[in-house]
Amino acid sequence: MILEVDGIGKHFGALAALTRVSFSVREGQVFSVIGPNGAGKSTLFNVISGLHQPTTGSVQFAGRPITGLPPEVVNRRGLAKTFQITNVFPEISVLDNVRVAAQSRTPESGRLSSLWRRPDVDASALVLLEAFGLARRRDELAENLSHGEQRYLEICLALATAPRLLLLDEPTAGMTPGETREATALIRRIALDRGLTLLLIEHDMSVVMGISDRVAVLHFGEKIAEGTPEQVRNDPRVVEAYLGGADD
Amino acid sequence: MSKPLTWRTAAVFAALAALPLVPGIPRYYLLLAFDALLFGAIAMSLDLLMGYTGLVSFGHAAFYGLGAYSTAILMERGILSLWASIAFALLVVGLYAFVVSYFATARRGIYFALLTLIFAEVVYTFFRYTQTFGGSDGIQGLPDAVLFPGVPIDTPARKYYLVLAYLLVAWTVCRVVVASHFGRVLVAIRENEDRARFLGYNVQRYKMGACMISALLTGVGGAVYPMRSAFATPDLLVWTESGEFIISVMIGGLGTLVGPIIGGAFFTILRDKVSSVVDWYFIVIGAVLIVIVLFMPKGLLGLRRLLRV
Repeated sequence: MILEVDGIGKHFGALAALTRVSFSVREGQVFSVIGPNGAGKSTLFNVISGLHQPTTGSVQFAGRPITGLPPEVVNRRGLAKTFQITNVFPEISVLDNVRVAAQSRTPESGRLSSLWRRPDVDASALVLLEAFGLARRRDELAENLSHGEQRYLEICLALATAPRLLLLDEPTAGMTPGETREATALIRRIALDRGLTLLLIEHDMSVVMGISDRVAVLHFGEKIAEGTPEQVRNDPRVVEAYLGGADD
Repeated sequence: MSKPLTWRTAAVFAALAALPLVPGIPRYYLLLAFDALLFGAIAMSLDLLMGYTGLVSFGHAAFYGLGAYSTAILMERGILSLWASIAFALLVVGLYAFVVSYFATARRGIYFALLTLIFAEVVYTFFRYTQTFGGSDGIQGLPDAVLFPGVPIDTPARKYYLVLAYLLVAWTVCRVVVASHFGRVLVAIRENEDRARFLGYNVQRYKMGACMISALLTGVGGAVYPMRSAFATPDLLVWTESGEFIISVMIGGLGTLVGPIIGGAFFTILRDKVSSVVDWYFIVIGAVLIVIVLFMPKGLLGLRRLLRV
């Protein structure tokens, strides 16, 4: 198991955003967490990636506890995250965006010599940009990219830190159905090529069904189902969660 | 690593080095040039924080003033060596900057500006209202520093070359740092500090590093100042001095290094010229600065583009 989430609860004051959520992700899997808007999916990611301290429970990554460690330490352990709302470096070039991410894993990083050395990470940065069709946009400022391109750059940044586990928070948010299909296939292929484990958040069930090995369903902060896409699709509680009450 | 010294830079420094050789140049102009370059170099050091890291320090006067007092305290005790002054200033400013930068970067947003200001005001109040180091008079009537035994830095030309050497060193340090691994992270922090954390960077440590480098360079500039003025007074530590550094960075052009040098020099010369004509010089300077900030958002360096077209 590369990731073990055990009994995670997160309270914001009186609001229970997550209650006793547990699941495990096997190395090489594509694992999806789905649920209607407001189900606590992003909060779950924020707890795993170190932004929020959980109120209860623990997270183990590659056999070591990472509960409550800050995001920079979690990232250095090999767990990278993309954001639901595009979160890039707007006023520098696309290539510079990926460079600063890629150099995070060079030997200079965190050493005194980083003050005068500049590692050459252009080759690996360009490979990534090429894979996402951004190579010819490399000198453009990130803020000038289209929405879809920025979503891809977002993934490039996370991949550039050479993670073992990639957390994708609604990677296709704001894309058209056509773009979504294309993006999903691309992400799946790149994960396979790099031997990555993917943990994916989606509110749109149809996006994840085709590419996931395993799906967990969150509803009002609780896990109500887990299994293969078929098992989950036919689970009456899941059907009810999606059809009754929630806004999606 | 990009080369910090290009032909163009070398040509500019060569031209600056030729200034004392101009026949009949008044000593007054050499000393004004000293002040202009010193101010420019300090504005450049501040640009490392403001323009690259996105942190506005309202407390650079403390780094500057502590550097100046370091020299003055040694000289008062008969230690005149330039190198001793610089080493002592690095130690004093380094210790102070470490504490300030630790607390100022512990929280995000406005706290950096506020805490740098508050710490600096504490330092000012100490020097101004205790008699330990001369109170409001500071330490006056200092002798000339010596480069090596028997080589005093006594003539205006020698003093000018001292500040030119300081500018060259500070420029090289800043250029190397902004082009490095570290410099890339600083820009990433300016652009989006949350994202930088999720790429594995300990943001506070990088901010502290940038603050320390900027403070140490400013402190060395402060250490050089009494070698021209022969005094160190609490006036060097007042928050308006920090404000003038900030203004110099803004009028020169944020995040360009060379812009703030020009901005600092421009500000110094403007202040000198206007104040020799009228008493209410700050109103004139204020008006000029408002025009620059409003109509030249990229600062004086932005003029380059206008001139080329």
